[in-house]
Formats: sequence, structure tokens, C-alpha cells
Amino acid sequence: MEINIKNIEPSQKEYIEIGCWRVNERVNEIVRFIKLKDGHVEAYKDEKQYRIALSDILYVEAVDDRCFIYLDNDCYESRRRLYEFESLFPSDDYIRISKSVIINLMKIVQIRPALNGRFLCHLVNGEDVIVSRKYVPDLKARIRGDRS
Amino acid sequence: MKDKLRNILGNFFISVTLINIAMLVLGSIMMPEQKFGYEVFIYPIVYGVIGIIPALITRDGKELSVKQTLLKNVIQMLMTVALILAFIFGGHPVDHKLIMTAVFVAVSVVLIYAGVIAISWFLDKKTADMMTEDLVRFQNRYSKKRA
Repeated sequence: MEINIKNIEPSQKEYIEIGCWRVNERVNEIVRFIKLKDGHVEAYKDEKQYRIALSDILYVEAVDDRCFIYLDNDCYESRRRLYEFESLFPSDDYIRISKSVIINLMKIVQIRPALNGRFLCHLVNGEDVIVSRKYVPDLKARIRGDRS
Repeated sequence: MKDKLRNILGNFFISVTLINIAMLVLGSIMMPEQKFGYEVFIYPIVYGVIGIIPALITRDGKELSVKQTLLKNVIQMLMTVALILAFIFGGHPVDHKLIMTAVFVAVSVVLIYAGVIAISWFLDKKTADMMTEDLVRFQNRYSKKRA
């Protein structure tokens, strides 16, 4: 694969362009890597836009058609969909734990049992987030180090 | 659905065991002279099946909070009590002895239900503790990798 780096004027917006025959998993992986290096996501609160570092995010929750980003003491709304976050986040640190929640594994302090075969993730800010039964095997495999 | 069925099946086997114990205790107190044939072995299974009917018919569409799940369990327990009382005493004339027995059976069902939840919770607690240990190792591994 040929790699071209072009110098542009400081007034111009920086960009990355990929020329490929078709968008396959290898291309998607490159895209994910570039997004990770950017390391931020845009979010909104009181009609103002903010840039939030991915590593500060505790979890992302979809409620109806809206997506909310939770930090230690703050909550922001995002215009991205939950599935977009799945590809945006570095895949080692974040995992889906229910139909509507993606969590940052580095922000969990403890895992506790909930009722009916579900579990609760106790986070650094004291919040508890439910892990659905369906997602428990994936969570176990990820933290054990098996890739799922 | 698969996970729900697995959970229900686990609860069924715990229920059958606890029903056996309840029948032993209740029978020894209320009718110690009673003799049974081999058909008695089927009753814990029948009561176990009745016990899982409310869980089977309740929908699991929405993700419930812990409080909502607790409320759902209480409703399912009351449904189980009603079903078992109807199965055992349905069609019998109501008298003082029947009411007394029904009260004992209802209390037993509540205790068995609480026992099933407690045993499942302790098994999950063990799993949760192991997951927490794995999580700490995972976090250390990735923190070192980044440093």
C-alpha cells in the first residue's frame, strides 16, 4: 500500500483520505485507529458544544432516540447513535453491557449481583449500571482477556 | 430468551429441592401419621412447574431497574401462591382446617420463593466477585500497556 503525505497551508483544514478498492475490515480498522488518535467526541449541553475526551467517559446510554454521555459529575447529549460509539471507542476499554448502554471498563470499581441473573457495575462516581443477562458472557470473556 | 429459559430452569431445580424440604417439614408438623405411595415423588416437580409459570408468561421486553425487578418478583410470587393454592385446594369445601393448611402452604411458598432468590443471589455473588478480580487484572494490564 502506498502512503502519501501532503503538506497543506495552515489555513486549510487537515484531513485524511483513504483510497481503496472496497471498504473492508482492514480499512475500518485504520479508520477506527485514526478516530482513536483524535480521542475526542463532540457533545452538547444547554445548546453549547463541547469536546469530550473518550477516556473521561464513564458510559453512554441511549434513551429512546437520544444518546447521553455520562462523565463523573456531568451528562452531555450526543448526536451520534449508540452503534456509532461502538466503532468509535477503542475496542479494548469499552463494551456494550445492555441494549442501551456502552460502558468504559476502566471506570468500573466493582461488579455486584442484581436480581434474575443480571449484574451491576459500580462506577468510580458511585453510580450503578445494569449488565443484562445477554451481555454477561461477553463481559466475562473481555475482562478475562478472551477476545469476543 | 435462551438466557431467560436457563435462569428459569435453574430456579426450577432450586424450587424442587426447597419444595421437598418444605413438604418434609410441613408434613411432619401437620400430618405426621400420613403414609404415601411412590406418586408423592411427582408433587415437588408439579409444584415446581406451577412455580415457574408466572416467570414464563411474564414479558421481558424492557430493561428493568433493580427496584422494578424486585416488584416484578413479588408479583410473580403472589401469582405462584394463588396458582398453588388453587391447584391444591380448588374445589374443596372451605373450613377452618383448610384455611389453616392454606396459610401454612402460602407461607411455605413465600419462604421457598425467597430461598430461591437468595440461593441464586449467592451464586451470582460468587460470579460477581470473580468478575471483579478479573476486572482489576484487566485494568492493571491495560494501564501498564499504556504507560
